[in-house]
Amino acid sequence: MNKLLIIILLILMVIVGGKRGIKSFLSLCINFFLLIIIFYFTSLGLNPIVLSILGSLVISYIVLFFVNGKNIKTISSMISVIIVLIILSLGIFIISDYMLLGGFGFESFEEINMFSYDIDFKMIDVTVALVIIGLVGATIDTGIAISTALFEIKENNPLLTRKEMYKSGMNVGKDVLATTSNTLLFAFIGEFMTLLIYFYSCNYSFFDIMNAKVFASEFIKIIFSAIGCILIMPISSYITSYFLSKGLFKDK
Amino acid sequence: MKKRIIKYLILFILSLGSLVFFNNNHFLYKKDIVKIQKLETIEKSSSFNNLGLEEKYSVQKITAIYLNNKNKGKIITIENEITTSSVVSETYRINDELIMKNNNIENLKRDKYIALMSVIFVLVITIVGDIKGILTISTVVLNSIIFYLGLKLLNNYDNLILLCFIETLIFTITTLIITNGLKRKTYAGILSVIASVLVLSLITTIIILITKYEGVSFTGMEFLTIPPEQAFIASIILGGLGAIMDVCITISSTFAELIEKDKNISKKALIKSGREIGKDIMGTMINVIFFTYLSSGLPTFVLAIRNGYSVSNYLQTNYTLEITRFLIGALGIVIAIPISIYICEKVLLRGEVNE
Repeated sequence: MNKLLIIILLILMVIVGGKRGIKSFLSLCINFFLLIIIFYFTSLGLNPIVLSILGSLVISYIVLFFVNGKNIKTISSMISVIIVLIILSLGIFIISDYMLLGGFGFESFEEINMFSYDIDFKMIDVTVALVIIGLVGATIDTGIAISTALFEIKENNPLLTRKEMYKSGMNVGKDVLATTSNTLLFAFIGEFMTLLIYFYSCNYSFFDIMNAKVFASEFIKIIFSAIGCILIMPISSYITSYFLSKGLFKDK
Repeated sequence: MKKRIIKYLILFILSLGSLVFFNNNHFLYKKDIVKIQKLETIEKSSSFNNLGLEEKYSVQKITAIYLNNKNKGKIITIENEITTSSVVSETYRINDELIMKNNNIENLKRDKYIALMSVIFVLVITIVGDIKGILTISTVVLNSIIFYLGLKLLNNYDNLILLCFIETLIFTITTLIITNGLKRKTYAGILSVIASVLVLSLITTIIILITKYEGVSFTGMEFLTIPPEQAFIASIILGGLGAIMDVCITISSTFAELIEKDKNISKKALIKSGREIGKDIMGTMINVIFFTYLSSGLPTFVLAIRNGYSVSNYLQTNYTLEITRFLIGALGIVIAIPISIYICEKVLLRGEVNE
């Protein structure tokens, strides 16, 4: 079934997106490959957090520079993504540690009961890595939207000051934020729906759900993706308007 | 300026209030909650799995005090087996609060952290996003409540897919009206979303009929009391809805803007800009759901590989569901582009944009 879906997706992406559709599809394949590599190296015993941060940077590099080319828009997005990742990974680590989000909740025991649990691996780090990888896509999306829009605005009004540019960047960001947070929320709802049905059939109360590990892990993943989107707004607006006003990377 | 101060003051009080509430809501729990006062860890033994990986087992001797219900103030001692990996166990610390069930530990009390993260999220989004941030929060909260109640009201899940379509309708209408207001572009957006969801469901149904879920493993959903296929279809439709709305809102807003700037813009020019926007957003939007969906496979992956399973084995079993979910979501994004271009052009070009 997945093979057929991939073929249909490729055909539709080419029809709708033309050459860029092919490029997007290719970058998707590369991303998948990278994701599996990150997964694999993690399971070999390398530090998942370091690996996920490095992996996210490689992914951003490919998404930004391969698909959109090396220019002022992508360079400023890349820098913004790096800053956001550094700030957030610390926060993710602290909160996951406090919430004991490592490993599996007992709701998913049936899924994993064919495995031995003696794997000599700190599962808390895996959770942190998962959240970091999960937020890359949404963060890049917002970052590139802001820098592209700012670039266009500057092209049309070359006399804009840095402060004015920063302000328009934030305005664009707010629009992106409203729709992206819905994308994230519904992705969360989609993943969470089956669990919720299970919770109801086991008569979980509101508080039972709020304290369940499965709920908490999903929640943290989505909320950090959203926070990544929000944080990158001022950062990307600031950096892009700084570059544009100083005339850096113009030739590229 | 004064308005702003009042706004932040209200926000601050609300945040503080909810934090205080979730840190002191023990009286609302029917289950007992204990707070750890003393901890003693005793190492027990090691065990090796079939790959020769060593796992250390220990026991935590916990002395804790009841915080609520009839035992309030009493002291209890509990034993908790822990392992270095903590795949299914949890290593507690002093001052952690635990929820008890029949004198056994059921869960860590996590709701206060959930509240803390929600408060941080709300604060960040209102400071950075201002009014639009507040609107965003209200759609998120409203949609979550609709979703929660919708599932709760349904006591048998035979009509899950029907419920899903009804909720889709409600979600779409409320979200678009809140974010865009009662304008023509909102109606164009709503129509586009509904059409895209219908087309996506149609394509998905056809694919399922042809392939009969060949190569998709439902091991991750075996715990459900209803047929997993049904829950799966319902969850992918709702999961893809956000992305579809995102595409349709972007296209309808841009069309409205273009028409406003140039009342005599030709149909051809409009469609051309629509296609350009489509190309711009397609790749990055697919990336958003790619990482959101596919990153969640990591824990099971690590567990499987460290149990000696091969990567391809994992990809063909546990991961298939996640991949299918992602692929159908991506398909939703791609088909929403031409559909919303077609509908928005038909609806918006007919007259005034913002009547």
